[in-house]
Amino acid sequence: MSSANYIRSNKQKAVIWALTIFIGFCALLLLYPVIYISLGSFKENKELLLGGANLLPKRFVLENYTQAWQNANFSVYTKNSFFLGIGTMILTVIISSMSGYVFSRKDFKYKELLYSTFVAFMFVNVGSVTLRPLFELAVKLKMNTSLVSVVLILVGTGQATFIFLNRGFVNTIPKELDEAAKIDGCTFFQTFYRILFPLLKPITATIALLSFRGGWNEYILPLVFTMSNDSMRPLTVGVNMLRNVGDGAAAWNIVFAGATMAILPMIVIYLIFSRHFMQGMTAGAVKG
Amino acid sequence: MLSPAVLLLVITSVYPFFWLFRYVLYDYNGFVAYFTGTYNIKRAFTDAVFWKSVLHTFEYAIGKLILIIPISLGLAVFISRNLPGSNTFRIIFFLPTVISASVYSLIFTFIFAVFRGPLNTVLEAMNLITRPIDWLGDPKWVMKSIIVVAVWGGLGNYMIYFISGLSSISEEIYESCMIDGANGTQTFFKITLPMLSPILKVILLLAITTAFKDYQSILVLTNGGPDGRSHVMFSYIYNLIFAAFSSPQIGYATVLSVLAALIIGVITAGYLYLARKLDDVF
Repeated sequence: MSSANYIRSNKQKAVIWALTIFIGFCALLLLYPVIYISLGSFKENKELLLGGANLLPKRFVLENYTQAWQNANFSVYTKNSFFLGIGTMILTVIISSMSGYVFSRKDFKYKELLYSTFVAFMFVNVGSVTLRPLFELAVKLKMNTSLVSVVLILVGTGQATFIFLNRGFVNTIPKELDEAAKIDGCTFFQTFYRILFPLLKPITATIALLSFRGGWNEYILPLVFTMSNDSMRPLTVGVNMLRNVGDGAAAWNIVFAGATMAILPMIVIYLIFSRHFMQGMTAGAVKG
Repeated sequence: MLSPAVLLLVITSVYPFFWLFRYVLYDYNGFVAYFTGTYNIKRAFTDAVFWKSVLHTFEYAIGKLILIIPISLGLAVFISRNLPGSNTFRIIFFLPTVISASVYSLIFTFIFAVFRGPLNTVLEAMNLITRPIDWLGDPKWVMKSIIVVAVWGGLGNYMIYFISGLSSISEEIYESCMIDGANGTQTFFKITLPMLSPILKVILLLAITTAFKDYQSILVLTNGGPDGRSHVMFSYIYNLIFAAFSSPQIGYATVLSVLAALIIGVITAGYLYLARKLDDVF
């Protein structure tokens, strides 16, 4: 909407200015927790324990990070977070684009029934209780000692929306392309990875970002799967464990540094690709 | 090519769903299961803590919705006017949604800290309070604090939904409104809101179902405390299954999960019914 070109009276201008300042103030208030934790991670522990609302550290120290990295196992947590994020992203992109392609292009018996099953389980939610059978299954398959099981569950529970998005996108690509490929001797699968998949780029970018965010940010699932195994924890779990298990206030500086490590990579990715994130949200919601 | 997706669907969604009904009549602690007949079901109906947590779920969901919907709609209307700075605002207000709920809740436990936490320090400096408030430990305040955190974390989502809804309203309508001499408030209530209503319905449905399902941030902020005052249905159930210090009561938890799913189902159906009724009226 480009209403900026209307002629406005002085009174209207004043109202708009006042609103802008008010919303700007709200925006700063909203950012406060993020800035507080990131700048706080450079404070000395004794300054953190004293509290107060100051943002800037009195003395700027890096040792919170070196401590967290070396003594508190955060190098492992970071590696695990990247494993969850990237693993979920790659598998989701592959599986959801293939399924979207099949649902859009192939006709087979019970296709609609299968598709509705996917959609239905998007809405069935019985909460954390479903983690119990999955955990028991993972123990039985001896997969509970690896984060692969967590990735698989994340992909499985999150895939419906993405399949939906992909199917919608493939529907917009003309069928003549497939037919031309078929005449040139491509099989059904070759048509997908040589012709269709490259064309899915815009939606793939969005799905990659959203699924990476899902893997990186997940908390309860890895919490349950790593109850007794510290070396498997991602940042979200590791930093929260520190608060519960650590000897009270003494480890605040490490919690601050750890929380910053858990949010900064995501924020940087967001700032670079903010447009894709927002597009993904609306595509999923409005069509879904 | 479809098989990986179907396999994952069966393992991660279909199987756990049917597993749920297996232990409804059992007392199951993760190792052995004893048949106890309808004991779990009877217990569910007399479990005061659970029914309190149901009430808290409603308190939380209603509080969150009342705040988050008007605020995000207001922001969306403002940002959609494409004034200078709009894009920056959009990026800032959406930012919390990329942060894990578990981590921002952890950050808020520091913000809400009783002893010289930032919030109490600022309020004391402004002379608004005389004694520090125990935001997360005082039964009077805990739910309000949790709702504030939830609004902080979810605001951006609904703002983006509303912005995309608003962009579908054509510019000409607003122009003719201006010519007819409608002011901002009139335009909003007579044009924007009615034109937005189909999308508003979808957004509300999403908002309601999410608000009733939230529990991750409660686990981090208070884990249901003080004394169960902030337990919602799913945080209570979670603690029955995965509690660190007592033996898990999985059979009983499956009964409560089915109940919780039914409650949410009834609410969703009720909302859909109401939304259709409203359609007939307007």
